[in-house]
Amino acid sequence: MDVKKLVAKAKKGNKEALVQLIMARKDDFYRLAYSYMGNEHDAMDAMDAMIVILYEKIEQLQKNETFYSWSKTILVNHCKTSLTKRKKMVLIDDWQEAEDQAAEIQHSYFQIEQQLDIQELLSHINEHQREAIELKYFHDLDYQTIAKITNAPVGTVKSRVAEGLKRLRRQAGGAVNE
Amino acid sequence: MNELEKQLSERKIELQSTTAPPELEGRLRDALSTIPPKKAKPLKLMWRLSAAALFFIVLVGYQFNGFAYYGKKFLGFDDLNSGTLNQLNEAGMGQNVDEQIVLEDGSILTIDGVMTDANQLIMYYTVSNEEGLDEESIHTLHLHHISGFLTNSNASSGTSTFHENHTEIKGLMRFDPVSGFAKNLTLTLHEYIEDSPLIEKKITFPYNPNLAMQTQLKQPINETLKVDQGQITFTSITATPTSTFIEGKLNVDNYGRLNQDFAGLELIANGKPVIRSGSSSRSHIRGYTFDIRYDALPENLETLELKMKRFVGYEGLNQRVDLDSFVGETIDLNGKRLRIKEINRAEDELHLIIATEDDVLLDGVTLISEEASIPLSTTLNQTYTADENGYEWKVRTLVFKTAGDADALHIEGMHFMKEYDLSVEIPIK
Repeated sequence: MDVKKLVAKAKKGNKEALVQLIMARKDDFYRLAYSYMGNEHDAMDAMDAMIVILYEKIEQLQKNETFYSWSKTILVNHCKTSLTKRKKMVLIDDWQEAEDQAAEIQHSYFQIEQQLDIQELLSHINEHQREAIELKYFHDLDYQTIAKITNAPVGTVKSRVAEGLKRLRRQAGGAVNE
Repeated sequence: MNELEKQLSERKIELQSTTAPPELEGRLRDALSTIPPKKAKPLKLMWRLSAAALFFIVLVGYQFNGFAYYGKKFLGFDDLNSGTLNQLNEAGMGQNVDEQIVLEDGSILTIDGVMTDANQLIMYYTVSNEEGLDEESIHTLHLHHISGFLTNSNASSGTSTFHENHTEIKGLMRFDPVSGFAKNLTLTLHEYIEDSPLIEKKITFPYNPNLAMQTQLKQPINETLKVDQGQITFTSITATPTSTFIEGKLNVDNYGRLNQDFAGLELIANGKPVIRSGSSSRSHIRGYTFDIRYDALPENLETLELKMKRFVGYEGLNQRVDLDSFVGETIDLNGKRLRIKEINRAEDELHLIIATEDDVLLDGVTLISEEASIPLSTTLNQTYTADENGYEWKVRTLVFKTAGDADALHIEGMHFMKEYDLSVEIPIK
């Protein structure tokens, strides 16, 4: 698939080209939306909104080859905006639940196991660090794109990832053999 | 891979089991169908404009590789500029350079900026010295030439004035045009300091050819005018925002005999003469090539005409002037005036002090005596004086090698600025 050609077509107003571009990486987009929105319904809504925004703004994309990182940035921005609007920080709520669950589990026989769930671990680091780590390790995005999505300098993103990882290791503590 | 990374990648694999629901494609299409298709876009208009621009570029042989974004205005140069340049400077048509070099006397030369087009490069510069500059400092400094990729431009003319209690000189130097492919330009300057060899310095600065101003009119003329001793061909006209150059070639035997060859050539735009700023010519095996420079053409150009009011001409006279009777008198040479002011004898030479109008040069002058005719040996001491009526005379001494007496002066002809009143219409395409 020739991304640049499809983007050029989409720029001329070809809706089908845009659909093809998204469908070629549909799972990546969906997972990204899902991880922010927390459920299928909201993730799909976010995807709908994204493609409309892309269609309207695609002329502003200067380098056709950067279509995917550009469109993912738009998707995440939309997710964050709608989350803020609804004042419903789904992820945090979910993770609070997960944490509670983990706490329960810890009190039960899993305590000995000491195999901490990564999501439970992630709930112990700050939101920015967690977001950066998730985007990097779960969605395979490069630092440049993460910087755009989180609206932070690349250097800051790198240090958030590094700092986050460091804290995760500490959190895991002696429980995890490295 | 350490434990943490393992956990992270396990989680990733877990997440990858999450896939987009099959209805996604339909949802996306539906979402797009709710918005109207885009109208014929500005993009298309851009293409049309680009095509028009390209056509225009080809048509006028535009030499620079882009359209310009201007923005730099140089301050303190108003006294030096013509009205045209001031207007362009006011509009910010220059590009900033702001490079400095220290001169031998400790003064600092700053290249403030340049303004360029297809006819010339105009450099705005400042020489400053807090301890003061004297009149001489500007004469010791010569901004000599500019070099760069496909570029070797000599300085053609310049002006400068003192500012700020003689601690600053603001100057403006014109150079031949620079290449539209040059990205860097190097100014070579010479410092002439008494009792020391010539000092050469170079200063390189970045240049953006895209900031050169667009040529407004460039087209061939290819019209030939006949004059007494040859012909003049005007080959082309190049009009830019700073100036208008007429180029041509000539093959005229007596070209260069008089100082003011191109003074009688007027460029008439919309019925009004355009100010002439200079001219230059270069000799070749067959004749000369020349350019005559005028100010920029007016906006809304409707008519353009090149008028040759006067040019160097030749008149055969074959006239005998009796020396005895004509000393002190005004003699008519076919409408031009000649005066023989004095006849002096010095050893083996006879000195005739004569006066004519400025634009008259006698040709084939011989001294006639009973025994022989003696050719002119040389001419000395040319000066200008005004007579009691305020009439300007060009006075010089004709020297003949003879020990004998002389009866008369024979003049074969004269070179003079002749009224031709010829004109060439330049069609504006």
